[in-house]
Formats: sequence, C-alpha cells, structure tokens
Amino acid sequence: MKTYEDLAGDGGSNIVDQVVSQREKLRGRLDKIKHKISIMSGKGGVGKSSMTANIAGCLADRGFKVGILDADLNGPSMCQLLGIDNKEKLNIDKEGVDPSIGALDIKVMSMDSLLPSPDSPVMWTDDGASAVWVSTMECTALRELLADTNWGELDYLLIDMPPGSDRIDNIRDLIPELEGVVEVTIPSALSQHIVSKSITKNNNLGVKIIGLIENMASYICPHCDEEGALFEGDDVKELSEKKEIPFIGRIPFDPRISKKSQSGKLFFNDFKDSITGKAISQAVDNILKSIPNT
Amino acid sequence: MKFLCIPCDEQMQTQTDGIMPAESKNISLKFKCPKCDHSIAMLTNKFETEFVSKIGVEMGGKSEVGSGPMSVVGTQLAEGKEELKNAAPTESDLEWTDEAKARIQKVPFFVRNMAKKTVINYALEKGITTIDAKLMDEVREKVGM
Repeated sequence: MKTYEDLAGDGGSNIVDQVVSQREKLRGRLDKIKHKISIMSGKGGVGKSSMTANIAGCLADRGFKVGILDADLNGPSMCQLLGIDNKEKLNIDKEGVDPSIGALDIKVMSMDSLLPSPDSPVMWTDDGASAVWVSTMECTALRELLADTNWGELDYLLIDMPPGSDRIDNIRDLIPELEGVVEVTIPSALSQHIVSKSITKNNNLGVKIIGLIENMASYICPHCDEEGALFEGDDVKELSEKKEIPFIGRIPFDPRISKKSQSGKLFFNDFKDSITGKAISQAVDNILKSIPNT
Repeated sequence: MKFLCIPCDEQMQTQTDGIMPAESKNISLKFKCPKCDHSIAMLTNKFETEFVSKIGVEMGGKSEVGSGPMSVVGTQLAEGKEELKNAAPTESDLEWTDEAKARIQKVPFFVRNMAKKTVINYALEKGITTIDAKLMDEVREKVGM
C-alpha cells in the first residue's frame, strides 16, 4: 500500500501550495520596504501608540517614506492619532487595499480603516468561536493587513504592537528581517516589572531589541518649561543596564501630546523644538544609529 | 491530509461539489477514487472547520474568490466597510439575486467556491439562468448542500 510520501499533492486542494503562495505575496510586499521596526511594551497605557505616531512623524519630517501597521487589532488607535476620517472609502483592487493616508502622508493600515464606524468593535462572524480560533483568526488578519496592503516603496514600516508580548512571535514569523523592537515603559515600578518580562522574552526569542524608551519620564509645564516628576519609580536606565539593552530616550510628558492626539494632529510636527519634541528626535537618532545602512 | 483508495492503491481526488450545511458549521468534503469511482466523505466538526477557515486556504484549490485582497478579514469580520465586503470578485455568467448572493456569502470562504460550483452546475443542468433563494433551497434539498 502506498504511503503518505508516495502520494503527490493532497488530492486537489493544494494546501501547501496555497500557504507558499501566501508567503510569496507577503514577501513581494515586504521586499519594497527597507526597514521594519516594532514598537512594543509588555504594559498597556504607557503611550506606546502615541510614541509610534510621533516617531513616524519625526521620520516623515526628515524626508523618509513611512508607513504604520496598527497591529493592535482590538484596540486600534492609529487612524485617530493621525487624523484619518473613518468615512473615507476603501480603495480596493486586485493587487490589494490602499492604505489610509494620515498626517505627513504617513500610510496607515489599521482595523479602524476597515470598520464601518469609529465606534465599531472588531468582532468576527463566528460569535461562538473559542479563544483558540479567535487567536488563529487574528494571526491570519495580521498577515492579510501586511500582505494585502498596497504599501508601495517605504523607507520605514513601524508596527504598533498591542499591549503584552504575545504578538511578537507572530510578527517575527511574518517578518523575519525585522530590524528589531523598541520597548517603551514609563518610570513606574509596575510598568518596568512587566516590560522587563517582555525584554526577557525578546532576548530568549533572539529578537533584537533596538532599545528602551522611558516615556512620561517627567512633566513639562507648557508655559514655563519647568520639569517635575510624574511617576515615582526606579531609574529606567538601570533596567536597560541590567538587561544589557541600549537606553535610547527619555521622553518628558507634555500635555499638548494628548491634545494633539485627540485632534488627529501630530505633536512632533508642531512642537519639534519643544523639550519633548527634541527628546523624541533624539530617540529617533538613536534608533537610526542602531540600524545598518541608514 | 491525503486519502488513499486501498483496493486500487490510488490517491483519491477532492470533489469540487462539496457539501456545506450552512448553520452547523460541520462540513462534508467528498473524495473520489479516479480508478474505481468509489467515493468517501471526510466529515469535520465545528472546530476543525473553524481552523481551516482561519488559515486562509481553500478546500478544492484556490479560487478567484479566495485570491482577492483581505479575503479572510473581509468575510470573517462581523461588521466591515461595504467596499471590503463587496471586494470579492463574482464569477459565472449566471445572474444571482441579492438574496442568493447574501446566502452564498454566508458560506465560509474556504468552501464557498465549492458551494458556488454546486449551485451553478445544478442551475446549468436545469437550464436556469437566474440563481435565487428558491433555487438554492432546491439544491440543498437535492444534493445536501
């Protein structure tokens, strides 16, 4: 009797070929993008998405072509942060879906771009699906958002990760050439505790860590530029030293960041000469220094 | 997964007229031996069906429908923009009523191609040029789709 290996193909479905074809499509898309960087944090609420948007703004301000993949499927925020109107029609052709265009011509693909209204949640048709299958669905969704978006030629694609460190396995699998991840924390002991786990996981997985950013490091008064503490906590530099990863930025909190974010404008581009704007620019310098050929 | 006809020692071929009960999410995929024509059905439960549907592959081979951009997200999102939902290309020269289109869209995309072919073949056999909900009920009744 014939064995599995004796039978060519799988009888007509060609599942392996279909998976290979998916990979080739993804590869064709990613090959046009020079550098891919993930922005992540084990902890939610540390200003990661706002940081991603402003790093993208800084890169675009320097003349780079920038895109953002909003990998936070269930809590997408990039359209809001970059002033993209939910009413914009999707342009879809055989090649793919055109990304939304945000402030400074930054290209964005986000679940928010695909939903019919700003308050629509991401829900799948299988409302009785188990968590395992929802997770599988999300992996597929992420692949499609990457592979089926008409990104065109980009210098940088920033991937805004969801809170937690579980999705990095997925991204590493989809983008093996990932330049690395930027970890974001706030000074609080709790945030550092959780982010340290994320750093350890990336180290164990062999994912390069470009560096650690301390966000909301202090409070800057927009009127007098006086700086004060916002959180109590251990020195974030110590965490980077302990984990042997570069410390690439200490970003003070400027309340105008949240105001600008809510109005769909980027803080960096209006206030790049502010203390916080300069700190973001310095962090971007450090990110670029860590990437060969930039 | 491969299927072997033991008496003939031949690989069984996937049949494109798959059977898809719309509500239970259990599917039956038919395989036939090219030598003796013996047919078997592979029956999957809801969980196995869900798994295949979410990895973005299609049973019976890739179709034009499944090749469209964001075909999984577009069909699996409970609420998505109209442009996304309508992006999947339609096929065949037959006319589909809106209700029939809506019903075929409810079939998971990875077996939708098979389900479509079953309906189309049935319509062509009968010389019918418009596919409506009544015809789809008839197909389900006759072939178990």
